Formats: sequence, C-alpha cells, structure tokens
Amino acid sequence: MKVLIVEDEKTLAYEMETFLKKAFYLCDLAHTVAQGLEKIEVNSYDFILLDLGLPDGDGLSLLPKAKKHNPEAAYIILTARGNLEDRITGLDLGADDYLAKPFSLLELQSRMQAIARRKFNVKEEAIPLGEFSIDLQKRLVQYKEEQIELSRKEYDLLSYLFLHKNRVLTRMQLSEHIWGTFADDDYDSNYIDAHIKNIRKKLNLWAPTDWLETVRGVGYRIKK
Amino acid sequence: MKLSAKLIYFITGSKLAVVLLFILSMPFLVARIASEYTNYSLRDQQKKALDKVQKDGIDYYLQGDDSYGSYTMLKEEYVAIEPAAPELLIDTIKTVERIVEGDTLSYRVLNHTFKAKNKNYLLEIGKTVGSINQYNKPLQRIALYVLMGLIALTIVIDLIFTRVLIRPLGKIIESKLLNRKFPFKDQSKPVKTTTQDFKYLDESLISLMDQINVDFEKEREFTANASHELMTPISILQNKMENLLADDQITEDVAMRIVGMMKTLDRLKKISSSLLFISRIENDQFVKLASVKLTDLLEDIKEEISHRLEDKGLTFSIHIKEKVTLKNVNHDLLFQLFYNLINNAIKYNVEGGSVMVTDAFNKQGDYQIFIKDTGIGIASEDIDFIFDRFRKANLSENVGYGLGLSIVKSIALYHNIDIKVASAVKQGSTFTITFPQVMLG
Repeated sequence: MKVLIVEDEKTLAYEMETFLKKAFYLCDLAHTVAQGLEKIEVNSYDFILLDLGLPDGDGLSLLPKAKKHNPEAAYIILTARGNLEDRITGLDLGADDYLAKPFSLLELQSRMQAIARRKFNVKEEAIPLGEFSIDLQKRLVQYKEEQIELSRKEYDLLSYLFLHKNRVLTRMQLSEHIWGTFADDDYDSNYIDAHIKNIRKKLNLWAPTDWLETVRGVGYRIKK
Repeated sequence: MKLSAKLIYFITGSKLAVVLLFILSMPFLVARIASEYTNYSLRDQQKKALDKVQKDGIDYYLQGDDSYGSYTMLKEEYVAIEPAAPELLIDTIKTVERIVEGDTLSYRVLNHTFKAKNKNYLLEIGKTVGSINQYNKPLQRIALYVLMGLIALTIVIDLIFTRVLIRPLGKIIESKLLNRKFPFKDQSKPVKTTTQDFKYLDESLISLMDQINVDFEKEREFTANASHELMTPISILQNKMENLLADDQITEDVAMRIVGMMKTLDRLKKISSSLLFISRIENDQFVKLASVKLTDLLEDIKEEISHRLEDKGLTFSIHIKEKVTLKNVNHDLLFQLFYNLINNAIKYNVEGGSVMVTDAFNKQGDYQIFIKDTGIGIASEDIDFIFDRFRKANLSENVGYGLGLSIVKSIALYHNIDIKVASAVKQGSTFTITFPQVMLG
C-alpha cells in the first residue's frame, strides 16, 4: 500500500514513515500543500495522511483538489486543532477518518487497516492465530468451527494485539485503544491484566495460548 | 434600609421639622405682621388727617376748641389733636397701655407733631393690639391642619418620584450584576436613565465587565493556544518512543525505561488535552441539541466503568426512580460529567466501599441526581476549591491531576447545571447535580 504523508513537522513525518515502513507500507513525504499537490498529481496513493496546519495553507484546502486526482485514495486528517468544526468540514469534504494529535502510531495503523477493510474491500479470510483463527471482518475468534465468546473489550484487545503482532504493546497503549479518552492515568492499575487473564482463561479451554506473551515490565505481545 | 425608604424618611422628617418650626414661630410672626400692618394703617390715618388739615384748616377738627378727640364705638381706635409746645418735635409709634372706661387696653399709638396756623400741634392716633393677638390659636390650628395635609400629599408624590428616580439603580444591579452569568458573552445594554450618577455607575460596570471579558478571553486564548502548541512536541515524542520501543536492539531494561517515559509523557498529554477540552467548552464548541435519557446514560457509564470496581471490591448501584429525559444537551459532555464524578467516587473510595446514584425532584420542581460514595471524603477547608484547576487536596499521591472536576464544572456551567458537594472526611461525599426544570423534556 502506498501512503503520502503531508506533514510540515519533519520529525513527526519521519517517525510516521519509520513506523509505517515497518508495517510494509510505501511512504512518500510532503511538507507543504504545494509539495503535497505535486506528489498527488504524479503518483497514485492508497492513503493520504493530511495535517491541517501547513505553512502555505490549510490542509483542508488541499482535500478537494487531491480528490480530483486521486479519488480512490483514503484520506485521514491528522490535526492538533481537534475542534469539532474542522472535524465536520473534513468529513464533509470526503475525508475517511480523523485523528487528533497526539495520536498513537498503533492507532493510526489500526484505523488504516479498518479503512482498508471497509473501503478497499480487502477480503480477509479468518487468519490463523495459534490453533485459533481470528476474523477481523466479522469480529470473531474461533477454535476450529467453535466460536469463542469474548466480550467486546476482550475482542478489541485481542485484535489490537493481533494487528500489531510481534510488537510489544504497553498497558497504556492498550487502555488508550479500548477506553479512548476515558483511559485513566492510574497506570499501575491492572485493568488490562484482568482482561488478558480472562482472554487466556476463555481460550485455554480449547488450546494453549503461548503465542500471547507477557513481556515483563512492558506489556503484552502476540508472537507469530 | 432601602435607599428609597431613607430618602422618604429624611424628606418627611425635614418637612415636619420645618412645619413645626413654622407653627411654633407663628405667634411671633403674626404679631410681627400685625404690628407692621398697624403701623402702616396708623401712617395712613396720619396722612389722611394731615391732608384734611392742609385742605380744610385745623379748625375742621378743632371746631374752635383747643383740642380734638374721637373714639370709635368699641374703643378700638381713637384720634386726638392737641396743642403742643412750640419747639416739640415728635414722630413715633409705640405700644402703650391705656385705661379706657375701666378696661386696660393695649394700644399702638402714633404721635406726630405738625404746624398749623403757626402753632405746634400733636396728632395722636391709637389702635388696639389685642384684637389681633386673639386670632393666634385658631390660626395656628388651621395652619397645622393645612400644612399636615400638604405634607401627606407631598409624601405620596415623593414616594412615587423616588421610586421612579431610583428604579434605574435596581435595573442596573439586576441587569449588570445579578442576572449576568460569567463569562459575559452578550454585550449588556445600557440601562435607560437621565440621572447622571446612574449613567456613570452603569457605564463603569459595563466597562468593568468588558475588561473582565477581555482578560478572560485572553486567558482562554492562552490556554487553547498553549495546549495546542504542546500537542505537536508531545506527538513527536510519543511517536519516537513508540518506534523506539519496537526496535529489536533494545534490551529489556531499556524497554522498561521507555515505558516509564511514555507514562510521564501520557500524563503531560492528558493534562494538555484536558485544558484544551475545557477551553473548547468555554468557547462554545459543542452543540447542545441532543435529548438524553438519564437512565440510559448512567447504564452506559456503568458498563464503561465497571472494570474499575473490581480492584477494591466496590459496589456500584443506580436507583433512578424518575423517567427523565434531558433536552438541549450535549450527550458526550453529559457523559463526561457523570463519568468523571462516578470515576472520582470510585477512585477515592475505600476497600469494600460503595457508590450509589439516586434521584429526586426538589421543591422547586428541579430534577436532582445524587452521587454518594463511601470514600475518603473532602476536608471542609478544601471543599471550596475542588472544582478549581490544578487544586489538589492533600490526599494520598497518585490521585489524578485535579482537572477532572474542572471539566465537570465547565460542562455544568455550559449546560446551566448546578453541582453541590457535601462531604465529611473518612465518611464520604455526596455530589448533588441539579437540572433546572427547563432542561427536562
């Protein structure tokens, strides 16, 4: 998948690029509206990540022109402004999603995957996970033909870990994904641990879950 | 005492004093006026007599006698002309006692010498004084009645006038001070008055409020800008750390340190976004058009928050009797308001404690929700400050950064919801959330 990152904060653009490259995305960088348009006119992208406060204009102004050249692309607005109006205007102009800065790169990738499933009709069969399989489209975890009853939050947790497999996710990153703005700042609480314990308990009834690792002092990881 | 009452008392008092003084000094005044008038009429008589003498000669009066004397029937007046020593020159008016036919009468007597036919004569005209003084008492009484009546009449006029006069003051207080909710968003209209002092007061208050608005606006702008400016560097740091943590080369120890750094950064992020959130509420950036069923809202919160109960083995119960729907509210903000309050009730609770949500209508018909916990409570000296930003009661460490309740306060203010706290240390707190009648759908 090809991604254009339009972000004037070079360090930030660079970090996004590093992260997405690791997840096997091809990245182009643009730091101004003009550069962004130039790139969009010659290349075709799957994702365009658009910062709003650019030095030569508002990212929103780029959106309609970009859509003309690259209508199939998915547009995600990234902004520190985060006010409702921008959000509504952005979505009205045809943006697919909206992330308020500061956001986690994990969250960005998860949103991109969700858009890919939805917009590009990426048909994913159930993917094996140890002796289990996970169907991201149907939000199901199965052992052979048997469907495993997970609560919404348990499924969210497992799928997020699965999406970022081979990467340690901290309890904080996991809480932020599950509870969003309501994630509390009592970092030493064990809400995530309790959920993981429940997931393991439910899955262990069918097969071992040694692919779901606890990384001491850091968090959890799905290893494959 | 009210200003109008004071004014009326003062005006009435001073009027009464003046009237009293007038009544008391009346005999003197009457005597004075009477004697002035008597003098005048004596002089008039003198002039007439002298004119007669001039015209018709002295014999008109003397008729060949040496002297002339005449009393009116009731002895009230008399005229006398008699010869005087050639060199005598008198022209006086005096009050003299005379005994006339056994009665002692007080006369005002004019003595005047004049020449006629080369002889000197003394003209004497007298007039009784008693006839004047006897009117004093009834005069005083009538004057008293009339003046009292006039006072009563003027008091009524004064009352009406002071009311009208002072009314702008009440209007100024009402429109500028009582009915204004901070922040003063709409420009307040000047109160109509022709009284310069009230205009001055009104203008001063308007300019004071404008000043407060400007300052508040600046502070708000600063908060919004500062937290916004913080977001970009926080973003960079967060993403850098995320990438660093994913690096295969780092050791377990380094990974743990990075996680520590991420927690600190997350705290910074939460503070900034909370401040930004508050300033957005204060900037009216949320629409209030939703209708929210409170029971549903509270159930949603219960579901969202229930995992937090397990740690301390708390019980959380919702006993809502009324089926209330709130209108013209923002669902997310209301959710946040209750979430923060319930979350606090859980966070500051004790092992095995409880959180209970109940409701009732108060006497005014407003709807109230009570969130009661069995937590550590709030000391009375802190209770006034718990809604202030960054004020933190001297509680145990690790208990948030004092913005949760500030957010609650901004949301409440934004919706015109009233929140009160009652609390006792080690016994728990009760937050009372009052929704005005107009919010109930």
